[in-house]
Amino acid sequence: MAASGSAAIGRRAFHDGRVRTLSFAALFAFMAYVNVSGYEHSFPTLRDRLVFVHSFGDDASVRLFYGQPYDLLHVGGYVAWRVGGFGAIFAAAWGLLAAVRALRTEEDAGRWELLLAGAVRRRDAFLAVLAAIAGGWLLLWLGLWLGCVAGGLAVGGSAYFALAALTPALVFAGVGALVSQVAPTRRLALELGMVVLALAFLLRTVADTSSGAAWLRWATPLGWAEQLRAFADPRPLVLLLPLGVSAALLWAAGAIALRRDVGSGLIASHDRRAPRLRLLSSPTAQALRAERGSLIGWLVGVGAFAVIVGVLSTTFQVARLPPTIRRELARFGATLLTPSGIIGFYFLFFVLAISLFACAQVVAARREEAGQQLETLLSLPAGRRRWLAGRLALAVGGAVALALLAAVLSWAGARSQGADVSLPDMLGAGANCLPVTLLFLALSTLAFAAWPRATTGIAYGLVSVAFVWQLFGAALGAPTWLLGVSPFHHVGLVPAQDFKALAAAIMLALAAAALALAFALFARRDLTGE
Amino acid sequence: MEAIRAEGLTKRYGSTLALDGLDLRVQPGEVYGFLGPNGAGKTTTIRLLLGLHRPTAGSASLFGIDAWHDPVAAHRHVAYVAGEPFLWPSLTSAETFAFLARVRGRVDADYERELVARFRVDPDKKVRALSKGNRQKVQLVAAFASRADLLILDEPTSGLDPLMEAAFRETVAEAKERGQTIFLSSHILSEVEAVCDRVGILRGGRLVDEGTLEQLRHLSAHTVEVTFAGAAPPLPPLPGVSVAAAGESALRLEVSGELRPLLAALAELPVVALTSREPSLEEIFLHHYDATDGRVG
Repeated sequence: MAASGSAAIGRRAFHDGRVRTLSFAALFAFMAYVNVSGYEHSFPTLRDRLVFVHSFGDDASVRLFYGQPYDLLHVGGYVAWRVGGFGAIFAAAWGLLAAVRALRTEEDAGRWELLLAGAVRRRDAFLAVLAAIAGGWLLLWLGLWLGCVAGGLAVGGSAYFALAALTPALVFAGVGALVSQVAPTRRLALELGMVVLALAFLLRTVADTSSGAAWLRWATPLGWAEQLRAFADPRPLVLLLPLGVSAALLWAAGAIALRRDVGSGLIASHDRRAPRLRLLSSPTAQALRAERGSLIGWLVGVGAFAVIVGVLSTTFQVARLPPTIRRELARFGATLLTPSGIIGFYFLFFVLAISLFACAQVVAARREEAGQQLETLLSLPAGRRRWLAGRLALAVGGAVALALLAAVLSWAGARSQGADVSLPDMLGAGANCLPVTLLFLALSTLAFAAWPRATTGIAYGLVSVAFVWQLFGAALGAPTWLLGVSPFHHVGLVPAQDFKALAAAIMLALAAAALALAFALFARRDLTGE
Repeated sequence: MEAIRAEGLTKRYGSTLALDGLDLRVQPGEVYGFLGPNGAGKTTTIRLLLGLHRPTAGSASLFGIDAWHDPVAAHRHVAYVAGEPFLWPSLTSAETFAFLARVRGRVDADYERELVARFRVDPDKKVRALSKGNRQKVQLVAAFASRADLLILDEPTSGLDPLMEAAFRETVAEAKERGQTIFLSSHILSEVEAVCDRVGILRGGRLVDEGTLEQLRHLSAHTVEVTFAGAAPPLPPLPGVSVAAAGESALRLEVSGELRPLLAALAELPVVALTSREPSLEEIFLHHYDATDGRVG
């Protein structure tokens, strides 16, 4: 009886996360396959590969995302670097989300209490959730491994690489399980977990980009994934680190879960306070109040990243390269070799981040509807068009603030290193983020109006697919018109390239049309619960 | 002008007909009880009355203002208590009152303080930490303190303890005295019986009965219980009289229409006790529902 109860809990937890897990698995498979097949295409000769090693492979700013390369002369080492460094961050995020969703979100919603009221022991319920997360991890591993093998990499090496790249998921599942015991709410648990992830990323960034700080790689789970050195110089013993830490975190989480009251966390929730009456004058003001914390988080994250990009923009020294290689480099797009070129390239990631922020605002609006707070609001003399317009104004205001911050701080970072980058140019780069952001904001709003229950999936899905397609579609040899489907394809890499005014105008026109349609549909539809 | 007027109000969700041509009129100052079991269409009706869902056919208006086409104007007259007391978890009760009052644009602050005391609401506690009943109290205080012309209450007392139930009835009586209109959806019959002037019974998306309690009772059967000295004798067949239950020496009879023929027949028999009572709302209600099961009410 108890066994079947915990099996049901495990299945339920797995089922809850299946869309997210399958999306991540598909993303890993796609990234791996594209990079394997793209390597031969981009670097057919040894000479091409040498040029690449001495240019991008050496560049600190490139290592920001991809991490430390160990062997770029062979396809395996290249994939381990390109996919592994990036993928480790995604894997960590997956592990965190999976654990918090299955543990704290369920408990926050009162469903965990319901489950434990059945004939299931706490320990078995906890283990069932871990089994579900392990099942999801196995799917990710399978996706990454299949992507590598399908591209033509060795079966055994790919298996080890997939294991290495996904170790952060195991560690961060442990982190997620632990913060789920510490924090009394889903939101706080996610925030704590994100802080840990940001620290891990920061440590890896310092380790990979500063000379003499390589030892810091041992201090972060993202660094352990690098130290496993798949396809270059495998060190399977390093696996003991992530596995041991993950086991310790999970053990600690389990021990706390067995001892504390259901529905509480180690941190007591502050449930009483004198009234704070600011930002309660309208639904929009209250939405700003509710989103304040997450807006500050976005500002801090984007700001920190902007400073790093600015500071690293001067690390690439063209003058140091031999002349033959300099000539070869021109083939890869010489604009990337100046500070403004590197900043322009990295601003594509700011476009992504700010677009995701815009989507998150639409998702927050949807959560207000799904939680039926909107029903209470709209039973007051508050119109639904006005409510939606207020929510969108908030999203636009936040996006503009983020773009401005990214521009100013990356300018300041670059200036601190003596780079020749002008503030007006950088403000232009910031403004250049907005047409794509507005387009994705409008499309997410349209999804919200037309298919409210699918808002989250469509909003984040569109942005992610479009971005991955832009990054890797070309390596697949896709024709230009098909690459052009992604709005990111039409972003000029300001300040190195020109602002693409026509593309921006078309995106803004599409955004306006989508918004008009969204408002018309939302005005006509029923409010929809969960 | 009616406080609530629905004409042929119909709502379809996909293939499900949730509300089927509802005609409803509630006069200003009236306390209207809207009865029906779960799934009868009560909440659907309320969502249509508030313009939160769009009618498939027909129309609803509040004080002559169309609920779907001009909800903001209609809502200036309305305060609503939702069946599921979902509020903003991170706001305290006091902050919730302030927020709702500012968006609504009016509140009777003195009365709000009185209601906070009456319903024993802890104003400094976050909604997140409140039980369902306590969140329901927050909604009730906010709605009644608005002194809106029309209060639409969707099962407002679910989760309230008996003390708070009494406070609720007191507050409804005060609202009625002030001339406010109340639309009370419920399946707690004693509550409806205690506070409502008029009652509508909803079944399967249709209004199957409507009227004052007296009218509803008049149309329904009386219950007569008779105890005999010794075994219960057979009764002669009488029009409108049926035997609902038979014991060793007692009978329970349902009588629709005149009582006189039955009393005449009983006068010949060794009766030791006789009680007669009007049907309770519960019996009227069950009468309407049992009919769908094919059982005789």
